Amino acid sequence: MKRRSFNRSLLALAGFTAGAGAWRPAAANTSSWAEQFQQALQDHPWLLGYRSVTQDAFAADAEVSGKWPAELRGTLYRNGPAQHEVGGFRYRHLFDGDGMVQGYFMGPEGVRHKGKMVQTYKLAAERKAGRPLYSSFASDLPDPAPVTSADAVNVANISVLPHHGKLLALWEAGSPWEIDAESLDTKGVYAFSDHTQGVPFSAHPRVEPDGTLWNFGYVSQANLLVLWHINKQGQVVKMGKVQAEAMSMVHDFVVTERHLVLMIPPLHYEPDANTGSFLAAHKWHADKPTKVLVVDKNDFDNHYWLDLPAQWVFHYGNAWEDTAGVIRFDAPRSPDPVSVIDSFSELMRGNITPGTTVHHHQYQIDTKAKRVSEAPMFGMHLESEFPVIDPRVSGKRYRRVVMLSRNHLLKQPAHVNLNEVSTMDLDSGQRRSYRYPDQQIPEEHLFVPRPGSTPESEGWVVGSALDWHKGQMLLNVFNVEAVDDGPVATARLPYALPLGLHGKFVQA
Amino acid sequence: MYFNPLTLPKLRTVLITGATLYCLMLTQSIAAATLTIVVSNVTEAEGSVMVAVLAGEQGFKEEQPPAAALMQPAQTGDMTFVASGLDDGEYAIQVMHDVNGNGELDSNFIGMPTEPWAMSNNARGNFGPPKWEDVKFTVSGDTTHSLELSK
Repeated sequence: MKRRSFNRSLLALAGFTAGAGAWRPAAANTSSWAEQFQQALQDHPWLLGYRSVTQDAFAADAEVSGKWPAELRGTLYRNGPAQHEVGGFRYRHLFDGDGMVQGYFMGPEGVRHKGKMVQTYKLAAERKAGRPLYSSFASDLPDPAPVTSADAVNVANISVLPHHGKLLALWEAGSPWEIDAESLDTKGVYAFSDHTQGVPFSAHPRVEPDGTLWNFGYVSQANLLVLWHINKQGQVVKMGKVQAEAMSMVHDFVVTERHLVLMIPPLHYEPDANTGSFLAAHKWHADKPTKVLVVDKNDFDNHYWLDLPAQWVFHYGNAWEDTAGVIRFDAPRSPDPVSVIDSFSELMRGNITPGTTVHHHQYQIDTKAKRVSEAPMFGMHLESEFPVIDPRVSGKRYRRVVMLSRNHLLKQPAHVNLNEVSTMDLDSGQRRSYRYPDQQIPEEHLFVPRPGSTPESEGWVVGSALDWHKGQMLLNVFNVEAVDDGPVATARLPYALPLGLHGKFVQA
Repeated sequence: MYFNPLTLPKLRTVLITGATLYCLMLTQSIAAATLTIVVSNVTEAEGSVMVAVLAGEQGFKEEQPPAAALMQPAQTGDMTFVASGLDDGEYAIQVMHDVNGNGELDSNFIGMPTEPWAMSNNARGNFGPPKWEDVKFTVSGDTTHSLELSK
């Protein structure tokens, strides 16, 4: 409390109004984050990917070049932080950005794009006030409004979920938001049932080929994990609670035919009296294990914990379990969470700091012996993230993973993002990569199956990219067998948008 | 994310205990203070709005019954409640909108309220429920206190 009063008096001295201040104790630079970012954008034009949107809606017909596959019809829905500034205040972290849902509608007449800000409670309240009101993920305001519930600060900015005829925009600490699949208008906060209103629903639910959905949520204050089992009609089949010794931010998990597997890295939620933001309440314990939770899908109370060394994992590709009860899954793994704590924060004022390296690992859990092990899949020169699979093999044996990557043996681009899209064949070990031109930054790319094909055979890799040189977004289509040949077709939009996070493809 | 749902005040206990003792306290009291409570943001005219007036930190911690427990059918907008015969002193107020009329502040699977509630000073608390220091206010003679309901 004393620290906050002190901050406030400093702000008053500096002539700032409370809530719109730019004071930061560690910053030698006294200009605001918004000003620092604008300056950095002059020097590093690729930072266009982190510029805030200043309008709520985008719509345009794309200019298509190349040979668009006649069978590739449907919509790629994407989500990501897009509004990074409110009332002149620039958020302190990439993940604080208010979410914008986008749709790339691929029809017989061509490709049309729409983007709309998710009209969350937070967006509405802060628009009305003309300034940020809440200390959120990592933006600690000097005089924040009290947070009445997680959904009061839900920015719906991580991913989308098309399920049981609905389109949902997902965050990870609160409720999904229902979005109209055509207009992208926000319908409102979504509950699967009365009893699950406001229960955290993470942004990486796993949907099996038959529509069965599994998810989790975490409640940091209670060291609690919540588990969801939802049928293809969107009805809650069962819920579970698992008490952990300590809680971290948990972003993704995996599912096999019999188990759910979650990892809790030792970035523990340990708030103290001076804790400002949610992120600042987390402390990294390099000497403590990453806890691996293995849960019986049929009985959430039947679970056990295993230990791995301290590490940080955002995303998983897929998992499967053999008849001997051995689970295998893959994930890009970092030795620590420096990227999430520092780099994704400093980036918002255009300060480029080294993040943590990310190397794809394969994990193995022997469910009979109750043992877990891990091993790197590539040489240390290859970094990767955003692993995705053919959705038809979710939770089953798989061999293909599509991912973004960066090869440190090759000449490095001007920007700090991953610059390749790669396909990896787990059986043969073969990797194929397309290296994007330096002036383009790829976003997550998806595996889109050709209708009627057998799983993991024919299809396309479809993904967007920012051309920061031209100030345009691209949607690229690759043959899944030969991404290294480059895109077979490209749809180009007349505008640039902030780099987003995750998407899902819905077949027409 | 910031609101500990598992340690909410037990509004139902407070209100029910309060209701049984309210008449008794009215007849016994010779104090003169009257507290007018204005509850705003009643969003639907369903169920009832329940108000508990808690005397001192002991009352807030539910170590003693409420000084007053009041209930009215919900009406949208602002609603006014009057608790008379209070002693001057420090109080806290808890309000809940029992929308479905089941006599409880409904909560979800993890214990977070799914019906609107409020506490004096509109205290909400970050990282947990409001504390006595956040909710206490002084009643002295005729006093008015306003609260805004939210989920």
